[in-house]
Amino acid sequence: MRGLIVIVSMCVFFASVSSGVTPEEQFHQGNDYFEARHFDSARQAYNQVIAQDMQSASLYFNMGNACFRSGDLGYAILYYLKAQRLDPSDTDIISNLDFARRFTSVQMEGVALNPVRSLFESIVEPYQLSTLAWISSAAFLLFFGFLITRFGFGYRNSIVRAGIYNSLFLLLVVATLTMMKYDNDYLTKRAVVISETAEVYTGPSDLSDKELDAAPGLIVEILSESGDFYNVLFENKRRGWIKKDLVAVV
Amino acid sequence: MTGRRHIVAVVFLVGLILAGTLSVAQTPPPLEVQVSLNRDTIGMDEQALLEVIVQGATQDIPDPRMPTLPMFEIFSQGRSTNISYSNGQLDASVTHRYLILPSKPGVFPIENISVVSGNKRYSGNPVTLTVVGKSTSASRQTEDQARDTEGNSRDLFAEAIIDNDNPYVNQQVTLTLKLYIAVQTYGSPSLVEPITTGFWTELLGTRGPYQQRLNNRTYRIIERKYAIFPTKTGELSIGRATFTSTVATKRQNRRRDPFDIFGMLGGGQEVQVKSRPLTINVKPLPMEGRPADFSGTIGRFTFKATPTKREIEVNQPVSVNFAITGVGNIKSVAEPTIPDLSDFRVYRASSNESISKHNDQIGGTKNFEEVFIPNRPGQLTIPSLSFNFFDPQAERYRTVHTQAINLNVIKTEGYVASPDLPYSAPDNVISADARDIRYIKSDPGDLSRRAEVVFVNPLYWVVNVTPVLALLATVLVRRRRERLQGDIGYARARRASKAARQRLVQARKLASEGDSSQYFAEISQVLLSFIGDKLNLSPHGLTNDKIAQLLQERGAEPSLIETTLEFLKRCDFARYAPASIGKSDIEETLVKAENLMVRMEEVRF
Repeated sequence: MRGLIVIVSMCVFFASVSSGVTPEEQFHQGNDYFEARHFDSARQAYNQVIAQDMQSASLYFNMGNACFRSGDLGYAILYYLKAQRLDPSDTDIISNLDFARRFTSVQMEGVALNPVRSLFESIVEPYQLSTLAWISSAAFLLFFGFLITRFGFGYRNSIVRAGIYNSLFLLLVVATLTMMKYDNDYLTKRAVVISETAEVYTGPSDLSDKELDAAPGLIVEILSESGDFYNVLFENKRRGWIKKDLVAVV
Repeated sequence: MTGRRHIVAVVFLVGLILAGTLSVAQTPPPLEVQVSLNRDTIGMDEQALLEVIVQGATQDIPDPRMPTLPMFEIFSQGRSTNISYSNGQLDASVTHRYLILPSKPGVFPIENISVVSGNKRYSGNPVTLTVVGKSTSASRQTEDQARDTEGNSRDLFAEAIIDNDNPYVNQQVTLTLKLYIAVQTYGSPSLVEPITTGFWTELLGTRGPYQQRLNNRTYRIIERKYAIFPTKTGELSIGRATFTSTVATKRQNRRRDPFDIFGMLGGGQEVQVKSRPLTINVKPLPMEGRPADFSGTIGRFTFKATPTKREIEVNQPVSVNFAITGVGNIKSVAEPTIPDLSDFRVYRASSNESISKHNDQIGGTKNFEEVFIPNRPGQLTIPSLSFNFFDPQAERYRTVHTQAINLNVIKTEGYVASPDLPYSAPDNVISADARDIRYIKSDPGDLSRRAEVVFVNPLYWVVNVTPVLALLATVLVRRRRERLQGDIGYARARRASKAARQRLVQARKLASEGDSSQYFAEISQVLLSFIGDKLNLSPHGLTNDKIAQLLQERGAEPSLIETTLEFLKRCDFARYAPASIGKSDIEETLVKAENLMVRMEEVRF
């Protein structure tokens, strides 16, 4: 049955390429497959859009759903994370990511190491980096507006002085939040375990001692890499080395 | 004068008498004495706690006077004071506690416990303590241990007791360690626990110190109990427990330390006592009647299944709690086996255990939370599950069962029979406690090529650099304006070029009108004004020599100075000999004047 679906999907793919189907049409085709419960075909259709270097939160969300329904928990969580990066405030994405993560056979509780950082992260979580960056720019403009008023036009009253200090404070806060978001979304490299069996070692080699058994769907932070291995940090702050082909980078 | 002295003396005397009267009238407030016993009847080897509470509206509460009670040994256990102020009223109470050890059986009234305050005696209520003759006598073995090889009673000894020396494997055995102390000791004794290889051990608790009479001597006993579970069959041994205590040494042969005022310093000697090792013969579980799926649990248990609800929609989870409760090693209870169910998908959610230690028996409850997701609508049943264990008291295997759980599974709108896939209705309901994934999105959204991060967007940089440039520009403009307003020389120098060019235009008009004399006069004046503006000097006082000197001082090239002076001379000549000037000379002069001014712009005035 699965083989038949793959053949049908391939036919659809070549047909779509030859007939110049738009990415939007391919997306809707994937939705049709999903509604018909042909989840593997739906994945194929969504993958064709992704292969064209196209992206949207809805596309990744639907891809995550198709992966979840076809029993591929690791990829489901991967695509929900990709969707969340594009639209962090979407409650559907948050809900499905949360729901899918309940099915990971190994649960790792996150450890809140720095309460101040946790607070900042909870503030920036619902916003995209671009939103925060433009808010920072607005604060920058406001701050320089007050500077121009003071030093360019020579207004020295208390309102201008208060404006300078307050807008500087605002600028520092939003700039810090923006940099934190940038660090979290772009500088910190994350990956999801996609393999059903994923052994984590104490060193970058199969011959090293086993640290733990990971499970599909676990989210890790990539700290470094060596050969075929990533040095990863799990959410409960345990570290280890895992083979690169057992994880997918978000 | 004498009369006045008499009056003072009388007043003083009256005052004294009044003060004395008042002090006599201020009698201490009445007191109340309450006497109570924690037990009315005790055995010969037991003890009772006598409490005497003295209450009154004063802080000065006297100690009670105890009657002579020859049939008891009485030890003070201390006192506690409680003082409270309520609505300006003082209420104080002092509680004295006494430990009473009987020396013979009988019924003994305890009365006449009293306090005396302000020449008045306050007696407490009488109580009666019955001492029964029978005593929970110590075992023969304990009495033997209490004697040394010469038959004298020991000051200190340890004992280890087990309640069963022939248990089944994994059956609880209670190990009791006791330290008997008949002498004064300092501090708490320390214990090195016995080696219990081959047992899983759980501490049950510590008791004491309590008192017991052995060989006509009163011992204080500290007791610690363990539940030990043998993990293998055969002969297993429990090692010696070692108690270490600091015992007060006898003084007769010791020189008294002059600084040891209370006789407490350095008066202790560390003493170690060890219990005897024990041997346990662990027998295997019988093969007869052993169920095929027996998991090795020993004890007495019940098994109960409780669903969170009995009516659910198809493909919605229902959680069932399987609770195994009873006495035995609850940690070793294995998860019940759930058979393959065609109507359900089963997920194990969690398990937890709570351990109880009632009556020195380890027991408790182990909960297994399983999630059942029905695949189809209808009346579905989660079948009865069974759990096997070995009952060591009955010495046979038992099986307990849960009740089968009937569930009413409702078919929802849009349901399509599909046994192997979770189902989600298109009408996705947003709920904090999600039971399934939310449905796919029909709108592809902003489907676009992967965008670069906002920081490499040129517009972002334009927006952020613009205010910086604007600030610089406005500051520079402001400074220039302020200088032009405040520095005349600067203002003249800055405006010199513009003013000169305007005047050159005027001069050209004069030339076109044919007034060459006026033209050259104006040209000469334009250049002189230009130099005057640049140097912030009046043009009227500028002679050719001064111009040469000033230009030289400002570092102007000699050729420029020479050309300038020659130009001025030429203008003067033309003013006074206009007939010799042609039209071409007029044009040439104008160009020369402009060139000179351009060259002078390069001089730093």
